[in-house]
Amino acid sequence: MNSSPMPAAPPPPSAQRASPLLEVSAIAKHVQGPEGELTLLKDINFTLSGAESLAITGPSGSGKTTLLGLLAGLDTPSRGEIRLDGKTFSSLSEDQRASARGATCAFVFQEFHLVADMNVLENVMLPLELAGREKPAASAKDWLERVGLSHRMRHFPSTLSGGEQQRVALARAFAVQPRLLFADEPTGSLDHANGKRIIDLLFELNQHSAAALVLVTHDPQLASRCQHHLELHEGTIINSSFADAKAVTASPVEKAIPHE
Amino acid sequence: MSKLLRPWRDHSFQLLALALAIAAFALSAVIFLRAELEQRFSVSTAEALGGDLVLAGSRTPEPQQLAKIASLRVSQIIDFSSVLVHNDALLLVSARAVDANYPLFGQIQLANDRFADEYSQNKGPAPGRVWVADQVIDRLNIAVGATLTVGSKALEISAIIRQLPDQNAGFYSMNPRIVLNSVDLAATGVMGPGTRIRQQSVVAGEPEAIQQLALNLDTSLRPDQKLETVADAALRSLGPLRQLSLWANLAVLLISLLCGAAIYLATAQRVRRRAKLAGLLRSFGASRYQVIAQLLGWEFLAILPAVTVGSALGIALINLTLGTGGSLPGPSMISASALEWSSALFAPLLLWLAFALPRLSALVRVPAIEILRQRQQSSVLGTNIELLAALSAPVLLAGLLTASLGELGRVLGLIAALGVLLPALLWPLIKSLDLASARLPLAARLAIRRLSRRPALTLPLLVSLTLAITVLTLAGQTGSQLLADWRTRLPSQAPNHFVLNLFGQDMPALEQWLEQHEAIAQPLYPVVRGRLSTINGVPVKEAVTKEKKSAQRHLNRDLVLTEASTLPSSNRINSGRWHGADLRASALEQPAQLSGNTALQRVSVEQEIADRLGLQLGDQLQFVTSRGLLSATITSLREVDWNSFEPNFYFIFASGELAAQDVTWITSFWLPEGDGARLAELLSELPHITLLDVKSLLDKAQGIIAQASQASALLGALLMFSALLVLAAGLLGGQQQRGRDNALLRALGGKQFLIKRILWIEFLCLSGSAALGATAISLLALYPLNERLFQQGLSLSAWQALPLALACIVTICGLLASRKALQQPALSLLRSNED
Repeated sequence: MNSSPMPAAPPPPSAQRASPLLEVSAIAKHVQGPEGELTLLKDINFTLSGAESLAITGPSGSGKTTLLGLLAGLDTPSRGEIRLDGKTFSSLSEDQRASARGATCAFVFQEFHLVADMNVLENVMLPLELAGREKPAASAKDWLERVGLSHRMRHFPSTLSGGEQQRVALARAFAVQPRLLFADEPTGSLDHANGKRIIDLLFELNQHSAAALVLVTHDPQLASRCQHHLELHEGTIINSSFADAKAVTASPVEKAIPHE
Repeated sequence: MSKLLRPWRDHSFQLLALALAIAAFALSAVIFLRAELEQRFSVSTAEALGGDLVLAGSRTPEPQQLAKIASLRVSQIIDFSSVLVHNDALLLVSARAVDANYPLFGQIQLANDRFADEYSQNKGPAPGRVWVADQVIDRLNIAVGATLTVGSKALEISAIIRQLPDQNAGFYSMNPRIVLNSVDLAATGVMGPGTRIRQQSVVAGEPEAIQQLALNLDTSLRPDQKLETVADAALRSLGPLRQLSLWANLAVLLISLLCGAAIYLATAQRVRRRAKLAGLLRSFGASRYQVIAQLLGWEFLAILPAVTVGSALGIALINLTLGTGGSLPGPSMISASALEWSSALFAPLLLWLAFALPRLSALVRVPAIEILRQRQQSSVLGTNIELLAALSAPVLLAGLLTASLGELGRVLGLIAALGVLLPALLWPLIKSLDLASARLPLAARLAIRRLSRRPALTLPLLVSLTLAITVLTLAGQTGSQLLADWRTRLPSQAPNHFVLNLFGQDMPALEQWLEQHEAIAQPLYPVVRGRLSTINGVPVKEAVTKEKKSAQRHLNRDLVLTEASTLPSSNRINSGRWHGADLRASALEQPAQLSGNTALQRVSVEQEIADRLGLQLGDQLQFVTSRGLLSATITSLREVDWNSFEPNFYFIFASGELAAQDVTWITSFWLPEGDGARLAELLSELPHITLLDVKSLLDKAQGIIAQASQASALLGALLMFSALLVLAAGLLGGQQQRGRDNALLRALGGKQFLIKRILWIEFLCLSGSAALGATAISLLALYPLNERLFQQGLSLSAWQALPLALACIVTICGLLASRKALQQPALSLLRSNED
């Protein structure tokens, strides 16, 4: 198993790792294609504890999004097991997974996915209401203030810039105080300056909330800010900072990752 | 080829193509059905009239008039009164002399014996022969083969007349009818100077030629002449044919409107899908023309197969239903004009252009960056002006197709105006629900927000649902009312025999006979024969102006007068009051001052004869009867359905006012199928009565009703089909958005139960609002519909509950249609940036 030549960043606290929040054991995902069965992912293993961060990188088509979908319980693996907070996530029903997701996880999407016909405040309140939290409005206002958008609470998403929309998405994600945050290319739809501001905000909020973070990105710089790193190629881990992750020989892609 | 197939891979195009195919199906079916009905009933009307055009006068037409009609098929008919002589017996008859071309349309029904089965013939009697009505056989006690004399010519009876094609059911003259060949007319010697005749030149030809001829003849009419064409034949003034014609026009109009709405909804989806392409093309520097060509060109070619298939299926349906495979008599293949063929193909394309163009042009108008950023969604997806344009397109199309927009204008105006106004009224309701929703449970709040904050999606859907539910309700109610109306008008046991010349002492024998043969009788009406002598004290010959000379035939013969206390069911009062009501205080009730020795009575006059004689309410009429003078004031004018197979009269006096006159009685009855011996039995017992068998006429009328009923049901079905298309387009149209909404809710932790509840509430609010609007519209539409179609009360019924029932069905269908959206995996949110 090769270890990743990861940049400095916070060292993996493997010695003092807390109890595992997300355990992934030998998962694989197959789908039926026009030319027979297609393997999207195979032999993925790792464990992520609370407050740790993980970057998943890889070229387009390597299976990053598929893996994120499986980790978040948006899809189920063809083989293997995912345990979220000690519960076998992948064997739960759709509703049970939604419930566990609502209680434990939050999302930040590349395309923001704000509800166009709800104003900013209502968007942030939505997951709080879905989870049945007390005083959702107060909490949502508080988080909007933290992302610097308290003055645009009554605005609708279509009147906001891309950066502002992603800030709303961050407020929506952190408002539920998740223990695990999934971020899917959070800067993919933003320019460099806005993307940097969002990432700074994401890590700052994450630091305060002590949530675990799973980040899918193409950006090596961004990946380097995470404690752990998984690099995928054609559905297989080719580079991992986890001791228990299964990785194959490093590919040229892996070698091409710039190090800072 | 691949470019043609490419749009078909897109779900939104498939939906649009399906909507267009169904629109083409419904429109072509209704266009062909209407054309077929027009043609068939035009033939019926022409048969009843005798030809496509009739020039009638009191003597032979002028040579230049004859020259004008010579190029077309013409039949010359002369009607006159004469006396038949057989041995020593005399009988006054209505005689008709016909030439070799008679009849131009239809068949003559004849029989060889008084009660024998009838057979058809398509030409008049041969020279030297005469056909006579049943009554001649009864009165003179003779049989086919006997000889009788008309004037100075002896003619052999070769058949008994059951029905002439141009003989209608109105009873104007009660004299028996005979038909002879006009070759024999001169030999009879009855046509001397001063003989009162009615000369008819009956013409058949193509509509354009007839129209032209009517225009030509109109300027050369003598005062005694009258011109009548199929187009203005009185037969269509009332009855099932007129109702069906109106109903067909209304159906064309509503189907256009509904198909338009369905295409509008389906186009919305397609435009959304094409918006990105438009934005990209424009960002690449394409001109507006190039963008439109790219968006419309291949799209237009790709929809052609859908439209063609839809139109072909619609035409096939009508051919199968009304053509060879159908149960109705008629031509083996629907014959339609080029106009109908082109309408069937182009009408759906016109609808598509009307809906697609304004919306696609918005993609050119709005800045590319706005489209690519998916902002200003409402600008891209339609403005109020485009909504109005979209609504007016099918209205104009329907107007062009039916050419009767004016006639149905009120109904249409009401539906169109309310279709726009009601959502405008309902919208604030939905918005206020939004404001009030803060205290509602989460599911209700989210459902209401989906509706209230997406006006570009919700408003067209609300308008379409409202219209569809309204049309379903009105189609159901009006269609069933029409069928019920027609069943009442000509029930299966409508009278098939009339008895005239009954005396008071005949009643026990008649009643016994009726009972014995399970016949069902109508009320008895007293009959008094009288001749109109003065109008307001002025002798009729002076009172009736020169222009009204065509009314002379009403003046020179005995008229049938009756009395009744209740208005016959086939009559309707147009003005004044029925004398059943107490009129003693009425201003019309003036003391008689005209002839000192007669009391002034009250009489109700049939509208058409009143118009011909120039009679008005309050006019005082004087009749000469066998008992002297009978005076009366006109207290009401009536419209009469002459096709009702009930005894109908031009003059009805108030009950008891003919008591002092010489009275005979008339009635009609329905006799079950059976042999003629039963009727012979009645005639042998009461030899002086006149018995008319109207079974052939009744069969013909019932045949028309059956055709009208079938056509009406087909129209109703097409209407409902179109309304369902709108519902389907509306429900399927929003699935993509619902799928995205549900996926996001699931990603954020929403459970399936919550998502289902949101959908339930969303559809309930939507269809509930539409049902509310539809109930209001259909209640308001009852008034003009009632006035135009039924001329009487269209009462409230269980149909008014249909919108609510439909709202429940729409909700359930909406949920079923949303199954896919419910199952859309939250993973799809990540797939938009799939790596």
